Amino acid sequence: MNNSNNGHKKTFLERMGEKFPFFQRKNKNKLYLSDRQPLTLQGKIGLGIAHLVLILWAVIIIWPLYQMVVSAFNGLQDGYLVLNRNFEFSLKHFEYLFNETLYLAWVRNTLFISISTALLTLLFVSFTGYAYSRYRFKGRKSSLMAILLIQTIPVFAGITAFFTMHSILSSIFPYFSRQMMLILIYSGGAIAANTFILKGYIDSISTELDDAAKIDGCSNMQIYRLIIMPVAKPMLMIIGLWSFIGPFMDFLMPRVLLTSPRSYTLAAGLFTLVNDFRTMNQPAFAAGGLLTAIPIVLLFVSLQGQLVSGLSKGSVKG
Amino acid sequence: MKVVLKNIGKKYEGREEFTLKNINLEIEEQEFCVILGPSGCGKTTMLRMIAGLNSITEGDLLFNDKRMNKVAPKDRDIAMVFQSYALYPHMTVYENMAFSLTMRKERKSLIDERVQEAAKVLQMEENLYVKPSDISGGQRQRVALGRAMVRNPKVFLMDEPLSNLDAKLREHMRVELIRLHKQLGTTTIYVTHDQTEAMTMASKIVLMDDGIIQQVGKPDDLYMRPKNLFVAAFIGSPSMNIIKGKIEQGRFISDNRLMMITPTKTHKEGLEAFEGKSVSAGIRPERFESGGEYGDTFNVNVDVVEMLGKEKILYGKLDDGKELIISTPGHYKYQGGERYAFGYDLEAIHYFDQETGERIN
Repeated sequence: MNNSNNGHKKTFLERMGEKFPFFQRKNKNKLYLSDRQPLTLQGKIGLGIAHLVLILWAVIIIWPLYQMVVSAFNGLQDGYLVLNRNFEFSLKHFEYLFNETLYLAWVRNTLFISISTALLTLLFVSFTGYAYSRYRFKGRKSSLMAILLIQTIPVFAGITAFFTMHSILSSIFPYFSRQMMLILIYSGGAIAANTFILKGYIDSISTELDDAAKIDGCSNMQIYRLIIMPVAKPMLMIIGLWSFIGPFMDFLMPRVLLTSPRSYTLAAGLFTLVNDFRTMNQPAFAAGGLLTAIPIVLLFVSLQGQLVSGLSKGSVKG
Repeated sequence: MKVVLKNIGKKYEGREEFTLKNINLEIEEQEFCVILGPSGCGKTTMLRMIAGLNSITEGDLLFNDKRMNKVAPKDRDIAMVFQSYALYPHMTVYENMAFSLTMRKERKSLIDERVQEAAKVLQMEENLYVKPSDISGGQRQRVALGRAMVRNPKVFLMDEPLSNLDAKLREHMRVELIRLHKQLGTTTIYVTHDQTEAMTMASKIVLMDDGIIQQVGKPDDLYMRPKNLFVAAFIGSPSMNIIKGKIEQGRFISDNRLMMITPTKTHKEGLEAFEGKSVSAGIRPERFESGGEYGDTFNVNVDVVEMLGKEKILYGKLDDGKELIISTPGHYKYQGGERYAFGYDLEAIHYFDQETGERIN
């Protein structure tokens, strides 16, 4: 694909470029800079197919999201969602959501559960991850294995146990609500799973850092707080983020465990807008879903820089 | 500060055998003591025990006659430089150097004074406010040194601090370290597996192998009068030629009967007791010569000649295949594939008892 005045036969692209300026390469004598071998015809076809599949996939994901956004703002929709071309911008579904439903209470509940879960998880995972990584104690390996095995049992299998535990606990502490039980369930699962992740991450931090800190006068707690935690911050952030998002996404547990609509989380609450004909309002459901996504997206975007830069800064050696 | 190790032993949890046993060592005030040994010989363990990072299973560790076995690392008045530098990656160079003083809750003005002083000595003033990831390996090394310096410790502990640097920088830092030691006069204990570092920097070398101290002494002593076969083979590069043989009628005869050495009068006295017994003779590559006092010569077939400039290193074989390394001045003419005759500098021959490996003369 050299330039055309070499006298060789013009390629398809070059002929297209002459007919339609749009196709013309910006710089014909561009140097081939990629480290890979130039694509063969087979490779080009493969690449085309790959792109096609990816685009299709993207459409499958994006189209319903697009419909959701459109319906949420479409004043012509009511009750059941109908796919039609008529569109009139209106905020009436949002108004309905705020005035006619317990949406704000659900948001409060979800945030309460999410934030508590994230904090509880971070606190405990910090301890367990650090301890498993840095200390040698009896039963270290077997307990790690046990944690791993317990992961394979779905949380929902313990639902009767959760009910019993809650009734026992609430008879001792009357303030122990169903929501708090949810927090315990969520953070319990997150602690077990994330202990592994954090242990692995802390394992990759040189123990010479610990030694240096010890000589500099740190206690074990201070070593973690002043040295290890800042270095492991990116991983801690990801763990915190995941455990924060969990309660937003989970529907089954709150649906079963929480009894009054006032104590519902967003997922359980919004579901009442689509499953019960008395409260049926699908566009409001779409609007609620859209609003729910916003804080999570914002959180991701604002933390993204830190997550990435933190990862590349972890090095000790040259 | 004087550091004394009395009968120190270390056994790790879950291990059958002692890693270190019966270690006796005295390190005088202001000394630059290098602990040298192949990897896995227990030298780092020893350093970490002095630092307080590893517990001491038995024996006493004394700093100026004060027992330190149970004292926490931060209260031992030591500073340590690690192999990977162990700089805190989330802190600036300044914060790294100031960290130990901050932990001690020193006054801000004092901290600043000390850090600036250390930075000046190490020529790091311009890089005080950047993160360790933004500076080069040599500079990181200096920050690690600075972090140790600001504490004004009584003992510097260094665990292979130069092994992550490239050859040129290592040479440079070696000189810097000696200069720094002269300037500060702090007792320094330095662990390395690199004998060049040990020979050039130490005022005292402790050569270890297999959890045992093989020899303690000045670099000269270890090179000129190795105490046993291990020291003889370990110190020196290219390493010493060890020839196995017997003493017959007061002369050393190699097992293949190709080499004969007539000992000097002084050597003879010690060797009398070994008449008829197996003895190894050691000779440094640079102590061969053409001729020799009593005319003891041998022929060697030179395979490879390495030209290093100031010297030529000849890799040769005796007629039975026994390998020898001979070093000659660079301007001498030698070629691979030729046969040459060499003699010995008889004063420079080391005799070792083959049974115990101990030095005889």
